[in-house]
Amino acid sequence: MITVHLEPGNETLTFPKINTAQQLLNKLSLGQTDALIIRGDELLTPDRRIHYGDEITVRTVISRG
Amino acid sequence: MKCKRCKALAAVALPSHHTGFCPECFLKYFADQVERGAHKHKLFDHSDKILVALSGGKDSLALMQVLTDLEYDVTGLHIDLGIGESSEAARGFVTAFCEKRGLPFHVLSTAHYGLAIPDVKAAVRRPICSVCGKIKRYYFNKFAHENGFTALATGHNLDDETARLFANTLRWDARYLGSQGPMLPGEGKFVRKVKPLYRLTEFETAAYCFLRKVEHGKAACPYSGGATFTGHKRLMGGLERVSPGMKIQFYEGFLRDGRPAFQAACKEGTDALVECAKCGYPSMSETCGVCRTRGMVAEKTAGR
Ligand code: SF4
Ligand SMILES: [Zn+2]
Ligand SMILES: [Zn+2]
Repeated sequence: MITVHLEPGNETLTFPKINTAQQLLNKLSLGQTDALIIRGDELLTPDRRIHYGDEITVRTVISRG
Repeated sequence: MKCKRCKALAAVALPSHHTGFCPECFLKYFADQVERGAHKHKLFDHSDKILVALSGGKDSLALMQVLTDLEYDVTGLHIDLGIGESSEAARGFVTAFCEKRGLPFHVLSTAHYGLAIPDVKAAVRRPICSVCGKIKRYYFNKFAHENGFTALATGHNLDDETARLFANTLRWDARYLGSQGPMLPGEGKFVRKVKPLYRLTEFETAAYCFLRKVEHGKAACPYSGGATFTGHKRLMGGLERVSPGMKIQFYEGFLRDGRPAFQAACKEGTDALVECAKCGYPSMSETCGVCRTRGMVAEKTAGR
């Protein structure tokens, strides 16, 4: 299982399998520069692998107001 | 993906520059972009006393951090709009950020001047964001002018700027097109306004905050409808995906080739300003917009 926290909004999703950060962006219909992909204290580029058991935060960057 | 500069593992991929950077080299790239923009459009130098408008969001705090790292003379100003929990949270981020780093900053509450934004919203008929924006600009400028600052810096980034340019172009709004840019010279009681992050995208300021450990607010203001600009940003984002580098080219190209024509065309309009009879700041009519709004709020609250 892969756990994904979405910011802002504080929603949590789980996925049985995702191979790369790019696949995660695709699943969320996000472009490469629409969100930060965070794992622990690291930022992941789209080519990075995502492993079973990972906890990922996806922080959308568009600011409003 | 490997860092372009040092070949370590990359943390930030930048399709518009066909490149990627490790954390350390990205922070350097970010600061270099700020210096490059500051130099190119003569935003400020090390002799300037710079007031930084701090909203508590990622862009303004990133701006304060990078200018501090580059050893510019900076002081923060946060304007507390009095919008319940939202404003309390914003103020909390600014205070925590500046106190942790020992940076000088001030807080100004619009409620203190009879302009708490919820009261303003109840008293005016115009869209609240245009009035709120005017109030913020007014007090940032007034504070800067009265306290001897030579430049007023805001955290507008490349996405803000291209979205606004796109909107102004769609309307062929000559007056706005003539004055849009990363630097608006000071004149009389208007302090020079600068946008040092204009070369950096929202994605880059967010990555910068993460890597530089800048804690910032992420919630939107409860009054932000956000529709048009967010829509424009999405459109520009789509174009950027197809032609990486398009945003900065569109913007710098406008500054170089488009803006001079609009500036020339609307030269006459600018000297129509008079001094506001109430506060003495430049105004289009006898009483300035902010003083008029204050009057409307006072009337409304007196009648309650
Ligand atoms: S969203 Fe509108 S009301 Fe809220 S802070 Fe921004 S300009 Fe003011
Ligand atoms: Zn590097
Ligand atoms: Zn006035």
